[in-house]
Amino acid sequence: MRFAPPLTPPLWNAAAGMATTEARRECETEGCSKDAKLQCPTCIKLGIQGSYFCSQECFKGSWASHKLLHKKAKEEKNQNEAKNCVEKDINTDPWPGYRYTGKLRPYYPLTPMRLVPSGIQRPDYADHPRGMSESEQFLKGTSQIKILSPEDIEGMRVVCKLAREVLDIAALMVKPGVTTEEIDHAVHLACTARNCYPSPLNYYNFPKSCCTSVNEVICHGIPDRRSLQEGDILNVDITVYHNGFHGDLNETFFVGEVDEGAKKLVQTTYECLMQAIDSVKPGVRYRELGNVIQKHAQANGFSVVRSYCGHGIHRLFHTAPNVPHYAKNKAVGVMKPGHVFTIEPMICEGGWQDETWPDGWTAVTRDGKRSAQFEHTLLVTETGCEILTRRLEENGRAHFLSQM
Amino acid sequence: MNLKLRCADSHSMMEEEDDCPELVPIQPQSVPPAQQIPVTIITGYLGAGKTTLLNYILTEQHNKRIAVILNEFGEGSALEKSLAVSQAGELYEEWLELRNGCLCCSVKDNGLKAIENLMEKKGKFDYILLETTGLADPGAVASMFWVDAELGSDIYLDGIVTVIDAKFGLQQLMEEKAEGFINEAARQIAVADLTIINKTDLVAEEELNQVRDTVRSINGLVKILETQRSRVDLSEVLDLHSFDIEDGAKLAEKLQLVKPTRPHLDKSILTVMFEVVGDLSEDSLNAFIQDLLWEKKFLNTEKEPMTVIRLKGIVSFAGKDRQMMLQGVNELYELNETPQLWEENQRINRLIFIGRNLDKDILEKHFIATVIQNSEKN
Repeated sequence: MRFAPPLTPPLWNAAAGMATTEARRECETEGCSKDAKLQCPTCIKLGIQGSYFCSQECFKGSWASHKLLHKKAKEEKNQNEAKNCVEKDINTDPWPGYRYTGKLRPYYPLTPMRLVPSGIQRPDYADHPRGMSESEQFLKGTSQIKILSPEDIEGMRVVCKLAREVLDIAALMVKPGVTTEEIDHAVHLACTARNCYPSPLNYYNFPKSCCTSVNEVICHGIPDRRSLQEGDILNVDITVYHNGFHGDLNETFFVGEVDEGAKKLVQTTYECLMQAIDSVKPGVRYRELGNVIQKHAQANGFSVVRSYCGHGIHRLFHTAPNVPHYAKNKAVGVMKPGHVFTIEPMICEGGWQDETWPDGWTAVTRDGKRSAQFEHTLLVTETGCEILTRRLEENGRAHFLSQM
Repeated sequence: MNLKLRCADSHSMMEEEDDCPELVPIQPQSVPPAQQIPVTIITGYLGAGKTTLLNYILTEQHNKRIAVILNEFGEGSALEKSLAVSQAGELYEEWLELRNGCLCCSVKDNGLKAIENLMEKKGKFDYILLETTGLADPGAVASMFWVDAELGSDIYLDGIVTVIDAKFGLQQLMEEKAEGFINEAARQIAVADLTIINKTDLVAEEELNQVRDTVRSINGLVKILETQRSRVDLSEVLDLHSFDIEDGAKLAEKLQLVKPTRPHLDKSILTVMFEVVGDLSEDSLNAFIQDLLWEKKFLNTEKEPMTVIRLKGIVSFAGKDRQMMLQGVNELYELNETPQLWEENQRINRLIFIGRNLDKDILEKHFIATVIQNSEKN
C-alpha cells in the first residue's frame, strides 16, 4: 500500500454517515457565508463555542484575527487557574486541554513507587517492565473456568481474609482531610505486614497499591495528594497476593456527612451486589448476574456501568470467567462448585457511559455524576456460594451502614 | 500523523501559537442516534488474494471513507497499531492507541476501544476492513467485534469473508494436521459468510468443481463466489449483515435451501442440519446450546466430542409471534427476535451446525427430547 504524503492534512467530513439533522451553520470568516461543516480544534479545547468554517483555506485566510480569540481565552484561563494550579507545589492540571467531566481533579505529583520487602512472594507482573502478566496473557481469550482443588480453595480462603483485614484498616482512615495517598500508604504497610504483595502495584504499570475512586470516578482511581472532602463518596479497592493467590474486594464509604442522593446510590449499589450473590449457585449461567443487577439498579433510577466487569480470580488476578454487570450479555460459562470469581457492580446516578483520564487508568462517568461500587470474591459451593471476603465482625455489615 | 494526546503535543502547541491548526469535523452537541459502522473480516491463506481484494474495494469505493487494518491485534505488547484510511482515492496512515490500562476487567477488547476512540477524535468511517493473518482463527477475531448490543458500540460485525486460492486451496484443505489440531483453511471456510474462490483463471473446470464441492461439503450455508484477481461485485461483499436480525428473512430462506453435506475429507468439518416443527422452551434451548457449545457434552458414535464452529437457526418460542434468530461463533451465541412474524405459517425450527464430529441423529434426538415444548413433532 502506498501512502500519499499529506501536505495539507485532509479535512474529515463526519457529516457523512451521521443520521442527524442539524441546523445549517455559516462560515465564520468575514464575508463568507458558505456552509460550515468544520470546526477549529483549538476552540474546542479552550471551550470557545461555535468556531465553524467552510474549509481549511478559508480558515487559513482568517487565521490572523481568529488566533486572537485563542490568546484571549488562554489569558483568562491562566488567571483563573494560576491559583489552584501550582499552590504548594501541587499540580491539578497535569494535562492541559483535557476536558474533565466533573469537578474532580488529579492532585499531582504522586509519591515515588513504593517498594515491597524482598521476602514477600511477588506475582509475575511485579518485575515486568510494562507490568504485563505472562501467565494471564497465556490464557487470554480462553473461556475455560478453573475448578479449584481443596488446597487451592484453602489458599483463597486465607488470602481473602487478609484482603478483608486490609480493607477494614483503610475504612478506619476515611474522613475529611485525609489524602487518598495516605490511605494508600497505610494499605501498602498493612499488606506487607501480612506478608502480602499489594496486587495493583505495577499491574500493567499501575503506580499504587490500591485504587481510590471518588465521586464521579467509576473505578481505578489513582491515590494522590487530594484531601477527602466532607460529602465525598470514596471507594477503596483492595487486592492482595499471598502464597500464590489473589483476593479482591472493595467498598464505598461516606466521607463525613453525605447527601440523601449519595446514601441512596451507595445503598442500592450494595443491594445490587448482595442480590447477585444470592443468586449464585451451581447451574446458574454467569450471564444471568447482569439481569439481576440491572433490574435492581434501574428500579431505583440508576444505570449500570458496562465497560468493566467481574472476573475469575485465583492464581491469576484477572481471568475467566468474564462477568458483565448489565442485562442481556453474552458471557460464556455456567457456575460449578469450585469456581472462584468476583462480582463488582458499578452503579451510576446518571448515564452509564464512561471515559478514561489521560493517565490511562482513572475511569469517570461521561456526565460527571457520581458512581458507587461494591465487590466480593466468591467461591461456588455445592449449594450456593461462600463469600470469601466477607467481614467477620459487625455481623458482616458493610462499613457505610454504620453511617446511614 | 501521530494522534497521541500527550502533554508534549499540547505544550508545543502553546509555543507555536502562530501555527494554524487543522480543522476538525463539527462535534455534535448531543449524542446522535448512532449510525453504526460495519466491520468485515477478510481471511484466507497467504497468497489467496486477500490484499488484492482489499485494494479492489478501496479503489472501487473511492468516495467512501474506509479504514483498513492489517493482521489483527497482536498479544498485549503493542502500544500502537497502524491503520490505513482511504478517502477520495488517497491512502493515509493513522494510529490506534492501544491503551494499556486495565485490559483485564474491561468488557470491550483493546482493539475495539482503540478504533472507537479514533472515530471519536477523527470522525466515523463508512466501512472497516480487517485482514487477518493466514493462520488466525477468524472466529476469535470476529468475537472481538461481536459485542453485546447493550454496549452501544459504534461498530458492528458485518460478516466474515474467506478468500481461497482455486489452484492451491484444495491442497491446503487436505493438509493433515496433528491429532487435535484443526486445519485452518477448513476452519476459515466453516466460519465464513462468504467464500471467494479466487484465481479461477489458473485452473481447469474439473479442478474448480472439486474446490467448490469441497467448500460446499464443509459449509452448507456459505455464499460462494468465483473470481479472477479478486474482482467481485462489492454489493456481495459489503453490507452482508450476517450477524444481525436484518439477515433474518434472508436466513430463513437460505436455511430452507441448505442440503446436508457429505465429508470429502477425513476427520473433516461438516455441515449438519435439521428441522423440527413446534414451539421451543427458551430455557431448554439455552441449556441445549450451552451443553453443546460450552460444555461440549454431546459425543458422536465414536465418543468424540462434537465441536461447533458456526451455528445459525430460526426458531419459534411459544407465545412469541416473531421468529427468533440464533447465531453462534465458537462459544459465543446470541438469540434475537427478528421482525418477521410467523403468521399462519407452520412453525418450523431450522438449525444448522458447522463443525467437527457432528452427528445429526444424536443432536436431533436430544433436541426433540429436551427442547420441544409441545407435542407437535416432525
